[in-house]
Amino acid sequence: MTEMDPLTIGMIGMGALVVIVFLGVRVFIAAGVVGLAGLIAMIGWEAGVGIAGTIPHSKSVTYTLSVLPMFILIGYLAFHAGITQAVFDAAKKWFGWVPGGLAVSTVFATAGFAAVSGASTATAAVFSRVAIPEMLKLNYDRRMAAGVVAAGGTLASLIPPSAILVIYAIIVEESVGQLLLAGFIPGVLSAIIYAFIISGRVVINPEMGPPVRGFTWGERFKSLPGTLPIISVIAIIFSAIYSGWATPTDAGALGAFVVFCIALYRGMTMGKLREALLETARLTVMIFSIIWGVLVFVRFLGFAGLPEAFAAWVTGLDMPPVMIVIMILIVYAILGMFMDGIGMLLLTLPIVYPAIVGLGYDPIWFGIIVVKMVEICLITPPIGLNCYVVNGVRPDIPLSDIFRGITPFFICDILTVALFIAFPEIVLFLPNLMLN
Amino acid sequence: MTDTSAQGGGHLLDRLNRWYSRLEDLLAGIAALSIFGLMLFGVVQIVLRSIFNAPIWGYIDVVEQLMALFAFLAVAYCQRLGGHVRMDLIISRFRGRLYWIVEFLAVLVGLVFIAIMIPPSYEHFVRAYELGDSTIDAGIPIWPSKLAVPFALSLLWLRLLLQVIGYGRLALMPKAEPIAVPTVLAVEELAAEEIREALGDDAGKPEGAPR
Repeated sequence: MTEMDPLTIGMIGMGALVVIVFLGVRVFIAAGVVGLAGLIAMIGWEAGVGIAGTIPHSKSVTYTLSVLPMFILIGYLAFHAGITQAVFDAAKKWFGWVPGGLAVSTVFATAGFAAVSGASTATAAVFSRVAIPEMLKLNYDRRMAAGVVAAGGTLASLIPPSAILVIYAIIVEESVGQLLLAGFIPGVLSAIIYAFIISGRVVINPEMGPPVRGFTWGERFKSLPGTLPIISVIAIIFSAIYSGWATPTDAGALGAFVVFCIALYRGMTMGKLREALLETARLTVMIFSIIWGVLVFVRFLGFAGLPEAFAAWVTGLDMPPVMIVIMILIVYAILGMFMDGIGMLLLTLPIVYPAIVGLGYDPIWFGIIVVKMVEICLITPPIGLNCYVVNGVRPDIPLSDIFRGITPFFICDILTVALFIAFPEIVLFLPNLMLN
Repeated sequence: MTDTSAQGGGHLLDRLNRWYSRLEDLLAGIAALSIFGLMLFGVVQIVLRSIFNAPIWGYIDVVEQLMALFAFLAVAYCQRLGGHVRMDLIISRFRGRLYWIVEFLAVLVGLVFIAIMIPPSYEHFVRAYELGDSTIDAGIPIWPSKLAVPFALSLLWLRLLLQVIGYGRLALMPKAEPIAVPTVLAVEELAAEEIREALGDDAGKPEGAPR
């Protein structure tokens, strides 16, 4: 029906997708409709529509994807398990003695809670209430107190369970287990780097955050049971994947069940359970819709040969591969300022991923880097949703202060990404260990 | 989401919206229960397999067929609540009639897309039904889960139709009260929403009692 060559149709499709996404069409519809139109243009109505119509079922109803609702459920239940205060108390008792102790404790508490809840922004909201008042009571620097809460939440996506890493794995057809394992060390390392930067600043300027001392070992150990839900969820998922005693879905189910029991014990009402389940259902269907919508688009791209063409072009560039990766990451950073992370990853990966692999980079490694970039965007202006959340809970701390408070953590994150680029072994150590 | 308002001919739309929302809520409830069920099923499987060394036969097949419930049924519910990801940075700057027209076109695109997707997904089901397709291990029929797709997409189509009418009405009468359409939130409001979800009803106050 047309004389255009496939690549041109592919490029037009990409352009059309960008336009309608910017005009506010829901991503799953935008990707689906462009994919469908492209398929029809290339292989005719009958075949094009026929292919598109099978994709929602065949691509959604696969066992690997069943882990997603489990991880999401863990997150929503975690908010009802009454662990935020307990985790902060435990962190305070164990790490309060270092310079800037309360802020350091906040980093570890938010990292732990965010890992389990999987929700950066919600974690920032909760800890704005739990940690900021205590820090301000001890005359901690206001900017640092707000910054650490906003930044701490961003550690959510790397430490397992992480839904976004699962989504990455599915889109690029890599092992879910390996990606989840790969996130662990970078996530923990990011938290430790945050802690060091806080302590370092406080050593230089002790007034910013006095340590909290005087806890006995007895008190410390007594605080540990409060962190049990977090430790058990991470341990269940980590060990299940590492040793293979359960699939990610089963491990997620067990993790959700543990948090569910604790939430019940802490007096979660039927109403709250219903709410958590409905929220889970809503987020789950959102992710499934976007997956099949994007996969319709991906099928079209495949027919157009665009990913191969882009990969060939990128690998043919007269530029060191690392420069290309850095440029791609910069594009992600810019995109991430305007767009939700899941949507951004799903829309871009089908094109970007073959190029990265073509350049000889490890797909698991790239997943961790990209997800880390997505998280950094949660604290970068102009959107920086986490900062707005902290400001919403603490209107007395101006946004400008929060953005300034976040700056050291932002710089840290950029350096951390640079570290992962320079030493991919940090990311690949655990997944490679599993392979052996 | 919407308040009763007869203003601008919204009375009937409002009633339809409320009535239809109940159906969506019911299906979202089924999706939610299926997720809870998957959790329990997974735990039972772990216990049976690791303690009694007797895994549930065809477990993966059952999970896969169950997945259709949470993968599709709540799709219209999510659309009603504005839960599907999109980029609204640009259009949230638009005001008045222009804004409503852009929203109208955005849901119209969805309406056309889903309308085209329903027949082939239905045929996908019919093929499975007529051939008696079943899963590899447990031999469970596949057609029910395939039927879930055209069913859920049809419900989504009706929801999109309500939104097309809702936005179309506002494009004609930009001053009327929005009915049957999700509202777009600025980043501050989005933050407030997140806080409400994370902290409960007393959110927004600077210092509340610890939870």
